[in-house]
Amino acid sequence: MEHEFSLTSETKGACLIIATSGYINNTGGEAILKEFSSHFERGTRKVVINLAHSRVVNSIGMSFLIEIIDQLNEAGGKLVFTNVDPAVDKMLGIMGLFGFAGKEKTVEDALKSFTGSSS
Amino acid sequence: MTTQEVVDRLTIQIESLQDGFELLSKAPNLKELGKSFFHLLRGNVTAVDGFVLFRNARETAWERLFGKGDATAALECVGGSEVSNAFSFHSLKDRPFAVVAVHSLHDGSHIALVLGRKLDKSGYSRLDSLTVQMLIQLFANAYQSLLQRQKEKGLVFSLNHRLLQLNSLIDTGIQLSRFHQETSLHHTALERAAALTNASYGSVTISSGWTRKERIVFPENIALKRPKDASHRIRAAFKFSGQTYAYELFDKESRTGTGPFEETDRLLLDSLARQVHAVLENHYLHLQEVEKQKIERDIAVAASIQQRILPKSLPVIPGYDLFGTNIPTRFVGGDYYDCIALNDGRFALIMADVSGKGVPAALLVSSFHAYLSAYVDTGLSIVDLARRLNAVIYGASTEERYITAVLAYFTPATGDVEFVNAGHTPVYLRRSGGAVEDIADGGLALGMIDMDFPYTSARVTISAGEQLLLYTDGVTEAMNSKEQLYDATGALKKFMESFAPQTAESFISGLLADLSRFTGSAPQNDDITAMYVMRL
Repeated sequence: MEHEFSLTSETKGACLIIATSGYINNTGGEAILKEFSSHFERGTRKVVINLAHSRVVNSIGMSFLIEIIDQLNEAGGKLVFTNVDPAVDKMLGIMGLFGFAGKEKTVEDALKSFTGSSS
Repeated sequence: MTTQEVVDRLTIQIESLQDGFELLSKAPNLKELGKSFFHLLRGNVTAVDGFVLFRNARETAWERLFGKGDATAALECVGGSEVSNAFSFHSLKDRPFAVVAVHSLHDGSHIALVLGRKLDKSGYSRLDSLTVQMLIQLFANAYQSLLQRQKEKGLVFSLNHRLLQLNSLIDTGIQLSRFHQETSLHHTALERAAALTNASYGSVTISSGWTRKERIVFPENIALKRPKDASHRIRAAFKFSGQTYAYELFDKESRTGTGPFEETDRLLLDSLARQVHAVLENHYLHLQEVEKQKIERDIAVAASIQQRILPKSLPVIPGYDLFGTNIPTRFVGGDYYDCIALNDGRFALIMADVSGKGVPAALLVSSFHAYLSAYVDTGLSIVDLARRLNAVIYGASTEERYITAVLAYFTPATGDVEFVNAGHTPVYLRRSGGAVEDIADGGLALGMIDMDFPYTSARVTISAGEQLLLYTDGVTEAMNSKEQLYDATGALKKFMESFAPQTAESFISGLLADLSRFTGSAPQNDDITAMYVMRL
């Protein structure tokens, strides 16, 4: 069963890695956006969101993810989701997020995917 | 400025306007729109500096869309400006900025331009005013286009979300139907329901009457709060197998907080609850079917065991006519009978009934048959045979299982029969005059107590024209639809007394017909077994 939301973040080189845990709803989405914004303002343009411990996302949570994708895309940056649960994968797919954000199996794969990226 | 110069400038500006609109239309947000607009404007009126300000409505404060440095002076300049519904353009005196222009947009919001001096330090002309007006109109169109795009984006999001809800509902239905653990089923259904309706949290409460048996909450470990009002809570409940399952969701989320649920949310929750109900019912029916199949298999095994050890036919004994039958019930009662030829010319007559039904009873009959085969022709007296069988059956059976039996050694030449009745129904001996005698001497059922319990035997002689009937309680306890027993008033003995058959088989047939008349349409609930020995 999904528990209340929490997140951790770290930076590896120029990349921000946010690992979420629990229900990504309004509270969860806001927390992710806040964490992202604090790094974005300082120039971070490569972001990984590790969803390994989040199996449920509602559409409000998703709207925060879209906002992050929008901001990054406008600034020439990129967001990559990793460890996506099949149900969440389908959800993000139907909502069209993978047209604007990447998806990799692991955080390491995501970091590799940034190699060669101009931003 | 000559007419030609005006025409040339207007021509350039028209081209600039076309490019400008294209640029403004691409702005992804209001800030970018403001920025692009200022650059376009500066190129057309050659303003050195300035600010683009915006406010959502007349009552709200101005905010900067674009402009470098401190905006306080710019905000002061526009603060005192009259805002009509149309475009206004004012020159400023004794201010750090030269002009301020304000325009009402279609949605009630306003845009203001506060421009510094021109590059050539000249004043703003009428032509500049017209240019600003045209460009602001361009901004207004681009702004409308931006809002439209945002609205379309929202609409696409909303449509995708509806598609997602539909898709998830189907997926969830498939996923739920595969569940075998009831708790996981509720967890998954609750998670999906909360996510699809944007509920902040939810619960499933399983109760029996007034007693709450289990509560599952989502997210896990969250403390359930009382919602602001009833519209912030939706509920779908169903009853199954004496329990009530109530799914509840609380506080529909939006980016600005929580609010009431919509009718669609209620429908979604109802639909998921119905799916869970169907899964529980199907699971219950499946378990019933599995149990039924297990019972059917057990019955088939038991029947097969029993039928294998029952005699295909009884031996032919000159001067006698023997016939036996076993009519098993659907549940296999564990009856056994036989007539076994011994090496010394005698025969062993056996009628037995194992307590209980099904495979355990059939297995014990099988053991009894094996022990009997081992000991019956070893020269033991009938009492010792009974004692020996009691000991081995006691060791081979569980506490609640035992065997009632009639064991007899029969000498055809003399008609002598020595019986031990081990807790079984009495043997009936019909004398030539028609009177029927009971033979019940013996002891406890076999396998009941292992205390070397003394069995006693009874001896009778069958003379010409006399008959013996051995049977199980399936005959005497056959029941009719009024739940009356066949032998409650001694019907069996009366039947035997009144019926003088030509053959042993005709006696058994007559007895079965009498039983059938008595029981009518009531189902047979125990094996019916009987063996008839006639001395000719």
